[in-house]
Amino acid sequence: MRVALVLVLIAAPLAAQNGGGAASRLAGRVPPAALPAIDSLIAAAVAESLPSEPLVQKALEGSAKGVPTDRLVNGVRRSLLQLREARIIVGRAMPDQPAPEAHVAAVSAALARGLGPAIVERLLTVAPNEPPGPVLHAAADLVAHRFNPDSAADLLVEAHNKGLHGMRLLDVAVAADHELQRAGGRTHADALARVRALLPNVPTAEVPAAVTRRRTKGS
Amino acid sequence: MMAMSPIDPRLQEALDGERDPGTLPMDLREAYARLMGAANLLQTLPAVSVAARVMAEIHDLKPEVQSVRPARRLMRWLARPRAVTLRLRPAWTLALVAGLAAILLIPTQPTNRPSPGAHEGIAQFVGHFPGARSVEVVGSFNDWSRGSLHLRDEHHDGIWHGAAVLPAGPHEYMFIVDGERWVPDPLAGRYVDDGFGAGRENSLLIVRPAQASLDEDATPR
Amino acid sequence: MRRAKPLQIRDEALPLRVTLMVNDGPPAPTDVEVVARVLGGDGEAFGILIRRYEPGLLRFATRMLGNPDAAADAVAESLVRAYRHLAQCRDPARLRSWLYRITGNRCRSHLARRRTNDISLSEAPPLADASDSWAVLERGEQVALVERALNALPAEKREAFVLKHVEGMSYEEMAAVTGARIPTLKMRVHRAREALLAALEELV
Repeated sequence: MRVALVLVLIAAPLAAQNGGGAASRLAGRVPPAALPAIDSLIAAAVAESLPSEPLVQKALEGSAKGVPTDRLVNGVRRSLLQLREARIIVGRAMPDQPAPEAHVAAVSAALARGLGPAIVERLLTVAPNEPPGPVLHAAADLVAHRFNPDSAADLLVEAHNKGLHGMRLLDVAVAADHELQRAGGRTHADALARVRALLPNVPTAEVPAAVTRRRTKGS
Repeated sequence: MMAMSPIDPRLQEALDGERDPGTLPMDLREAYARLMGAANLLQTLPAVSVAARVMAEIHDLKPEVQSVRPARRLMRWLARPRAVTLRLRPAWTLALVAGLAAILLIPTQPTNRPSPGAHEGIAQFVGHFPGARSVEVVGSFNDWSRGSLHLRDEHHDGIWHGAAVLPAGPHEYMFIVDGERWVPDPLAGRYVDDGFGAGRENSLLIVRPAQASLDEDATPR
Repeated sequence: MRRAKPLQIRDEALPLRVTLMVNDGPPAPTDVEVVARVLGGDGEAFGILIRRYEPGLLRFATRMLGNPDAAADAVAESLVRAYRHLAQCRDPARLRSWLYRITGNRCRSHLARRRTNDISLSEAPPLADASDSWAVLERGEQVALVERALNALPAEKREAFVLKHVEGMSYEEMAAVTGARIPTLKMRVHRAREALLAALEELV
């Protein structure tokens, strides 16, 4: 079966890297009744030196989904509260410098996926000068697959110490999940032990053969 | 330790501009003058200026502020597809894998092929929606706007697919089937509550940089 | 806003009194106009906003932090942030409130990183002789005494007092700057006045 691969045009708001252009992006998309409250929440984020793009995205998402106004505003407000919590966590992990916005956004995303604050803080301290997104998502992946959070963090810390950084930490999570899925059944502890034995030579993620997999929640 | 005693409400009113201070008794007028005098002393303007420093820093930021309008990504063809991790479902997975393998292994037409940039990767979307008339993808990468990423079912077998060049890093998204039914991607493997209180979940995709040597994560905007 | 000096000339040769309007120069652009220029790509125009608001912001930050160098850092950081997020200032007519809000938050962050809110003894100017009456003190000594009393206030009350009586804001504008409700702000200002009066009476 030959199938042509079609790539499509994506109109991606690059200016959103700095949260710029929020007003023009929301105009005509967000219901007028919700706009003042959402503007106020975004302004609060800006004034508090929090990343505002997650709030803009949440407003656009809820509007596209047709979420009722009160729940739309609550959703954006919830995102703001999550960012504030994220900054507290980043501040505890990195007390000697202002919390970088990228770190705050990454931690907020990890909290949204259900990762606990203690695990987040621990992983932030492993490599404070590296972008925290990959290690946090790797931990969230493992927790979503019912691995013990502390054990998951132990594995990722060990992987990092053995030279696996950035996206390679996601491969560690994938490998642990694959070990769990092997025919014959494995306990979570077994799966982690096998991956630990592989470090640092964890396979790079690739298209697997047909693997039966149940749906897992990320939050 | 300062001993605070409540100020006479009339004094507070005068200080708030709600009462003529001339109507205050002498003792309160003295207190009024003392506080206003203290405020006047604090109104001295500093002699320093941060203008040069700020303008120098802004000069470096110029291009980012000027890109107010959304940038457009050009249509790109894959020269060499990169692997992505998929979670597959049973039953129809064999056909899907075969089709996907064809997608991934067969080079496309050698027309103009710019590759993904240093901090970009290929995101591939595949879904099984037999009987659907249309399937599109909306998410954080297109401001949740419709019309920019339609999947195709070229063989009319219910397997819809498409791909896009996206910034490396995490992206939340959903499928919209037949223009009205919002569905999480069953193959995403990662899901996150959308936070609007109805228990709906977004799919989560983490795009890897096309250049495997890059470990840097383009963290969320 | 047009600035002009009216000159009234009586000239016997003229049957009517003629009033000449002399224009000092082109009218200063409004905040709305400047913001539009900056967002349109004229980054240099942001200098107009800096010159317009920097003195007040520096004064505000200095009163909050008790340290002119820290205040300069806070204001510079705030102005850069304002530039980066200028498109999110939906009401440029209220730009002043927005800038003060960002600066206030920056100051709070600086204060939170300090171990104490007080300026260090090495930074504090020497106190005047407490036996001197207020009138006898040099102006600089008076300023130092008032600064010391202000620095002794908790940050929220200090901010409220400074915004009200140094920056001359209405309670409505203070609410926009701080995010606090007006009754809350009134209470803070009232308590700050009480504390300052008591402190001034003790110091002199």
